[in-house]
Amino acid sequence: MKILVCIKQVPDMESKFKIDGNGTWYDTNDLAWRMNEYDEYGVEQAVQLKEQMGDSDLTVLCIGSAQVKETMKKALAMGCDRGAHIEDDAADSHDPFEIGSIIAEYARDKEFDVIFTGMQSQDRGSGQVGILVAEMLDIPGVSTVVDFSYDDGTINVKRELEGGIKALVKLNTPALFTCQLGINTPRYPTLPNIMKAKRKELLTIPSSDLLKVACVQETSAIFFPEKKGGGLVLEGDSGDVADQLIEILKDKTAVLA
Amino acid sequence: MKFELTEEQNLIRDMVRSFAETELAPSTQSRDEEEHFDRELMFDKLAELGLTGIIFPEEYDGAGADYISYAIALEELSRVCASTGVTLAAHLSLAANPIYLFGTEEQKQKYLIPLALGEKMGAFGLTEPSAGSDAGSTKMSAVRDGDEWILNGTKIFISNGGEAEVYVVFARTDKEAEKHHGISGFIVEKDTPGFSFGNKEKKMGIRSSPTRELVFENCRIPAENILGNEGQGFKIAMETLDGGRIAVASQAVGIAQGALDEAVKYAKERKQFDTCITRFQGVQFQLADMATQINAARFLVYNAAYRASAGLSYSLESAMAKLMASETAMKVTTQAVQILGGYGYTREFPVERMMRDAKITEIYMGTSEIQRVVIGSTLIK
Ligand SMILES: Cc1cc2nc3c(=O)[nH]c(=O)nc-3n(C[C@H](O)[C@H](O)[C@H](O)COP(=O)(O)OP(=O)(O)OC[C@H]3O[C@@H](n4cnc5c(N)ncnc54)[C@H](O)[C@@H]3O)c2cc1C
Repeated sequence: MKILVCIKQVPDMESKFKIDGNGTWYDTNDLAWRMNEYDEYGVEQAVQLKEQMGDSDLTVLCIGSAQVKETMKKALAMGCDRGAHIEDDAADSHDPFEIGSIIAEYARDKEFDVIFTGMQSQDRGSGQVGILVAEMLDIPGVSTVVDFSYDDGTINVKRELEGGIKALVKLNTPALFTCQLGINTPRYPTLPNIMKAKRKELLTIPSSDLLKVACVQETSAIFFPEKKGGGLVLEGDSGDVADQLIEILKDKTAVLA
Repeated sequence: MKFELTEEQNLIRDMVRSFAETELAPSTQSRDEEEHFDRELMFDKLAELGLTGIIFPEEYDGAGADYISYAIALEELSRVCASTGVTLAAHLSLAANPIYLFGTEEQKQKYLIPLALGEKMGAFGLTEPSAGSDAGSTKMSAVRDGDEWILNGTKIFISNGGEAEVYVVFARTDKEAEKHHGISGFIVEKDTPGFSFGNKEKKMGIRSSPTRELVFENCRIPAENILGNEGQGFKIAMETLDGGRIAVASQAVGIAQGALDEAVKYAKERKQFDTCITRFQGVQFQLADMATQINAARFLVYNAAYRASAGLSYSLESAMAKLMASETAMKVTTQAVQILGGYGYTREFPVERMMRDAKITEIYMGTSEIQRVVIGSTLIK
């Protein structure tokens, strides 16, 4: 079985974010980077499937500058067999359509049976890339997967819908799945596997070889939402304050109606 | 010269940090209060992650990583739980490492491999009631009888005592020889008849690490369990401690970093005199000094670790790293308690434990005074 898992490197979400000079993305200087959380679920699921299948080959793909190779090493240490680094120093400037088409172009002639991506990235959060890749490759794509099982060419997954509802979906390979929180608990890469990861193949391919489309949407600005008003401070002695409060509650809410 | 960690070293730091924060942290305080050693958590899980054999080559089922990786792993474990740090340090640096450095191929197959895999835990018995800093006055005796050695005597304050399956111990094999020359090292398995354990010590800090007495009463072990040559024991013990000092120094850096992190977090939230206490230069300067000292200590540790991996001499450097890091840990944890004020003195916050844990790093594997003896005597040689 041939498996592909697509990952993205994102900043640690605890970071203090600043808007960059163009006002269209965050400032990427002085941030700590890690694997997108949803992609960790994808890697774990891919490795579990690989372990179940025995004879299989698992590729991890990541688009970005040379810096993303460190995150790819983690995926290799978790159990991926080889890495495809799509080198692109301006990956942040691509819209989901371009990113999806780069991945689809890479995957097109490689006959992957199963492709995993995260449900969304923690920084851009478009939730589109996985689904676009499935569409571009003309294979079924199932989003927000919280349970996955494979048996003899048939895949059964559980999807998470809104309002606490779940759905069961059955399909055949080849197919693509976007992974949601709850699907699994990603493993720690063990020390020996971290050491072995550096001996695994990590090919670098320039994104210009694969990017054949133009962007279809443009982010014109990113910004922090305006702070909400700081509330209302009532002043006076306690009797006055209580009267004022009752008036406000009557006036603006239904609690005393 | 490159002051940069490798990708592997960064991955190891991330992995061990995430393990420590997710798995160790929830029980660190209760294990301290209850003096509870949780073997599954504090050792078996380390084995699963491949930490129990970090520095040994793959042919002995180690991970084949370098000493800096080991230092990083110990720092990250100790940042959250110093007791787990010493469990690994005693196992790896003090028990597995002398077998790797001085053991025969048979001993490595029989003992090092299960130790590296973490199927067995190791401990190191050098200290005796009347031989602490002065390890040369070891009294425990080993007498040859046919193809066996008969051990008699006691070892005290042994980390992992009672829990470990493999013990590297030192005994006098020649009463006539000059003090340091009549000592030899031995490998003793738990459950050998004549080998038993005293009570667990009640301690100030690292309370979830078991520290026990080893008692040998006509304990017979096979002749082939001598480690290295007869009479080479003192040298083996000293070289083992050189490596162990890198481990304790890493533990100390971890404890100090843990205390600094807590102090920064608290100071950013605590308000007095209508302002956050970080606005007081007096508090900021303390935090600045703490961070600076920790980084200085960390680089001394990396330097000693680098030399150990590169096959250079590192006895002096590991003594310096241990001295600086342990005294930094004591200073920084005391300051962290100060920054948390009355709250810092209570068990509601972890810094009082860190202060208690820090103290041992100035004592074991050679006290600070002994580190100064090592450093000083090298200078005037
Ligand atoms: C929790 C814990 C865990 C331990 N784990 C182990 C273990 O796993 N294996 C093991 O073998 N041992 C272990 N030890 C023992 C530890 O290494 C010794 O306690 C330590 O070496 C000091 O020896 P001592 O306690 O006999 O003190 P002493 O040697 O009696 O020292 C008393 C004081 O005299 C000072 N002093 C001694 N000699 C000199 C000198 N030449 N110059 C200046 N000052 C000097 C010392 O620095 C100290 O301040 C452990 C101890 C503890 C408390």
